Amino acid sequence: MTSVGYIVKATIDALRVAARNFVKPERITVYYPYEKLEYVRMRGWIGLWTEKCTSCMLCARICPTNAIKMYPAPNAKRYPGVDYGRCIMCHFCIDICPADALYPTDIKELAWYNYREMIYTPDMEREPPKVEETYKYVKVSIKYENGIPRKIETVK
Amino acid sequence: MREESYGLVLGERDLGAGRRVLDIFWGPQHPTSGHTRFIVEVDGDIVVNVTPDPGYVHRTMEKLGETRHWIQNIPLFERLSLPDAINVTWAYALAVEKLLKYDVSPRAQYLRVIMGELSRISTHLYDLGLHGIMIGSSTGFMWGYGLRELLVHLWAMVSGSRTTPTWVVPGGVRTAPPDAFYEQTKGFLQYLEKKIDEFVRVVVKNPVGFYRLKDVGYLSKEEAARLMATGPGARGSGVAWDARKAYKYGIYDELEWDICVEDGGDSLARTMVRICEIKQSAGIIRQALDRAPREGSLVGDAALHRLPPKLREKANEYVKLSGFFVVMLPQGEGTGITEGGRGRYYFHVFGDGSEKPYRVRISTPSWQNLRPMIKAFIGSRLMDLPAIYGSFGYFPPEQDR
Amino acid sequence: MDWGFLFSARLWFFVLMFAASGIVLLTVVWFERKAAARVQMRVGPYHVSPQLGGYLQLLADAFKFIISEPIVHKGAYRLLFMWGPAIFVTLAFGASLLIPLTPELRLIRDVNLLPYGLVFSLVVLLLVSIAIVLIGWSANNKFAYIGAAREALIVTAYELPLLLSFLAMVILYGTLNPIEIVERQWLAGALLNPLAFLVFIIATAMATAKFPFEIADYEGDVATGPYSDYGGIFLVLSFAGGAYYATFSYSFLATLLFLGGWGIPNFAVGSWPQDMLGHLLLAGWFLLKTTILMMFFAFLRAAMPVLRLDHTLLFGWRGLLVLSILAVVWSVVLKFVGI
Repeated sequence: MTSVGYIVKATIDALRVAARNFVKPERITVYYPYEKLEYVRMRGWIGLWTEKCTSCMLCARICPTNAIKMYPAPNAKRYPGVDYGRCIMCHFCIDICPADALYPTDIKELAWYNYREMIYTPDMEREPPKVEETYKYVKVSIKYENGIPRKIETVK
Repeated sequence: MREESYGLVLGERDLGAGRRVLDIFWGPQHPTSGHTRFIVEVDGDIVVNVTPDPGYVHRTMEKLGETRHWIQNIPLFERLSLPDAINVTWAYALAVEKLLKYDVSPRAQYLRVIMGELSRISTHLYDLGLHGIMIGSSTGFMWGYGLRELLVHLWAMVSGSRTTPTWVVPGGVRTAPPDAFYEQTKGFLQYLEKKIDEFVRVVVKNPVGFYRLKDVGYLSKEEAARLMATGPGARGSGVAWDARKAYKYGIYDELEWDICVEDGGDSLARTMVRICEIKQSAGIIRQALDRAPREGSLVGDAALHRLPPKLREKANEYVKLSGFFVVMLPQGEGTGITEGGRGRYYFHVFGDGSEKPYRVRISTPSWQNLRPMIKAFIGSRLMDLPAIYGSFGYFPPEQDR
Repeated sequence: MDWGFLFSARLWFFVLMFAASGIVLLTVVWFERKAAARVQMRVGPYHVSPQLGGYLQLLADAFKFIISEPIVHKGAYRLLFMWGPAIFVTLAFGASLLIPLTPELRLIRDVNLLPYGLVFSLVVLLLVSIAIVLIGWSANNKFAYIGAAREALIVTAYELPLLLSFLAMVILYGTLNPIEIVERQWLAGALLNPLAFLVFIIATAMATAKFPFEIADYEGDVATGPYSDYGGIFLVLSFAGGAYYATFSYSFLATLLFLGGWGIPNFAVGSWPQDMLGHLLLAGWFLLKTTILMMFFAFLRAAMPVLRLDHTLLFGWRGLLVLSILAVVWSVVLKFVGI
C-alpha cells in the first residue's frame, strides 16, 4: 500500500471526486428566512382550550422540566400556563391531557425580547402567537430524485 | 524583556533522567478538544503522557433520574447523547420493560430497529464528520453533517423533532411514521451509500488522510479487551463484540447482518468500522422497512391495557402517555443494554414501589473508551492527537453524564 | 507643471500591482469559499451582494476585522508582536514588486539589474517564514511556540527543492533576466520541465501553508499556531491576508518561470506609453494566469486533509528533493540536447 503508485492514484482519485462535486454540486442549503423547510411533523408551541380543561393538573405533573404552572382563574379552577424558557417541546403535557384541552401546533419559530415574555399565562395560551413574517417565504421540502436530494418548492 | 517571566522553558519540567517535557493544556477551550481537558505532556513531538480532566459538562443525570417520575426520564436521558438519542432511550426503555414486565408489540420492534439504526448512522456521521475536520478535511465535516441534516429530517417526520425525538417509550414507541417516511428513507439510504463511498475516497483513502490514520493510535486486541474498549474502539482492534448479537435485543437476530470487525487496531481500522457499520445499518433498515407491518398497535399488550379505551383505538397511530403516568415501578431491578453508535449503553433501573426510580445506573461508551483512548494517545505524535480522538468518537457530554 | 509622470511606467506598475493584487485576492478568496461550498453541499457566501454571488463578502469580513480591537496580551513581546504582521505582509507582497509585469512595466528601471530582482524576490519570499517564526515566538504561547517550531521545520522541507527547481529553470533558460526568460519560453516552462513545475507547486503549497500542508497553523492541535493570539488587523495582515499575498507572490513567480509570464505568441508589444493598451493586455494576461494558479491552490482546501509534520519532512527530503534533483538533471540534459 505504501507504493508511490497507490499514492499518486489515490490523490488523483480524491481530486477527481472533489472536482466532480464542484462541477455537479448537490446542495441542500435552505435560505431560511426566504425559504422554510416543511417538516411533515413538528412539535411546537402548545395551545390550550380553557373550556375543555378540567384542572386535573396532570400536565403540570408530567412536565419533565417543570415548565407548566397552574394559574388560578376567577371560576375557582386552575389552568396551565407554559414557561417557554423551560419548555423542551416534548409534548408530554399534550399526551397526558385526558380532556384534549391542550393542542399541538407546529409553530417553532419563537423568540422573545426578555424572559418575562416567555412565561405564558392561560389567556395567552388560547390563541397561537402571531408570528411576524418579516420576509415573504416559500415552503420547501427535500425530495430524492434518482438518489440525489433536491430542494423542491411545495405547491401552495 | 524579563527573562524569568518569558519563554516556555519554565513550562518544561525536569523529570529526571535528563528528560524534559512541555505540558500542553489541550482543552476545554480548544477547536478540537470538545468539552473536556487533556493535559498532554510532549517530549519533542512525542506524547509521553496524557492526563484526562473530564467533568466540564457533568449534569448529574443519575441523581436527576432519581428525582422524577420514570416516564419523565426519557427526555432527560436522551440528552446524554443527542446524536444517538434513540439508542439511549431504547436502553432505558428496555430496563423499564424488564422491571414492569412489559411486552413490546411486533410493529414497535421493527420501528425501533429502523429508528435505532438511523440513530447509529446519525452518530457515525457525526463522528466521521468531526473526525474529518480534526484531520483537516472540511469537506469530510460538511458531508458528514450534510447527510445528518437529511437524516434528522427523517427523525422529524417520525417523531416531530429534529434532534430530540423522545420517541421510544417502554412497551413500544410514541408515534407511527407517515407513509412518506418509507419512501424518503429509501431515497436517503441510496444517497447515503453513494456519499459515504465518496467520503472514503476524499478523506480516508486519500493518501494525506490515509497516512494520518494508518498506524496511528494503536490499540492491541488484548489491550482493548483489558481496558474494556467498546463500540468501534473494540471492533477496530479485532474484538468481535456487539451488543446486538450478544444480547439479541429487539429483532436483530431475525435480520441478516454482520458485525464489522477490523484487525488493524489503529485509527484507520476504527474509521473503517464506522463506514462498514453505516453500510450494514443501511442494509438492516432496508430489510426492516420491507418487513415492517404498516398496521398494528404501537405498544405491547401490557401497556395497551393501561390506556383508556378511547386512546386504545388510536394506538395504531400514536400512543398517549396517560397509561404510563399512572404506573408505579415495582420493587426490583431491570437492566437494558443497547449497542449505540459509539458502543454499549447500559441502564440499570432500581424500583422501590413508587413512581420514581430508586436508582438509575448509567454506563456510557465514551466513559468506557476514555482509558483505551488515553492508552492509544501515549507514544503518538502531537499531530496525531486529533486523529486518535476522532477515531474513538469520544463525546464529552455523554462521558460526563 | 509636467504631467508626464502620470505616464511613468513605474507609477503604473505600482498602481496596477496594488489594485490588481487586491482584486485577485478578492476573487481568489471568493473562489476558495464558493468552490469549497459547492463541493460541500452548500452555497457559501451569499447574503452580502446576492447579485454578485457573495463576491463582496470578503470586504465585509475585512471591515469587521479592521474595526475590531487588536489585543496585545500581557505576556507578549510587544514590539515583534505588533510589527510581525506588518513585516509578514511587506515581505510577502514586496517580493512580487521586484518582478516586471510586462517588459516595460517594472519597478527596477535598469535592465542590467533585472536578474538580481528575480533572485531577490525569491530571497524575500523565503524570508516570510522567518516572519512567521518571529510572530510565533513573540506571542509567548505554547501553541504559537509549537506552530513557529513547525514552520521552522517545514522550511527545511521545501526550501531546498524550491531553490533547485528554480535553478533547473534558470539552467534551462540560461538566463536570470525575466524579460529573456519569457522570450525563451517558446513552449511553456511547465511543459519543458514538468518535474520542476510539480516541485515548485508543491513547495509553494508548503511555503504558503495551503492544504494539505497547513501544518504550522493546524487547527487540530495547535489552534492556528503562530496566529492563535492575533485578532483584528493583526490577523488580516498575517493569517487572513498576508498568507494570500505570499501565495500571490509565489504564483506570480511561478507564472513567470513556468507559464510563460506575459508572453502571448505572435504578439509584439510597442514601447510604453505609446502602446499602452498592449501593455495592459499583457499585464492582464499575466495576472489572469496567476489567478488561475492561485485558484488551484484554493481548490485544494476542498479536497485535502492535512498531512502530518514528520510525513511532510519525509516527503520533502525523500520525495521533493529527489524530484528537484531530477528536474535539474532534466534541464541539463535538455540544455545539452539543445532546446
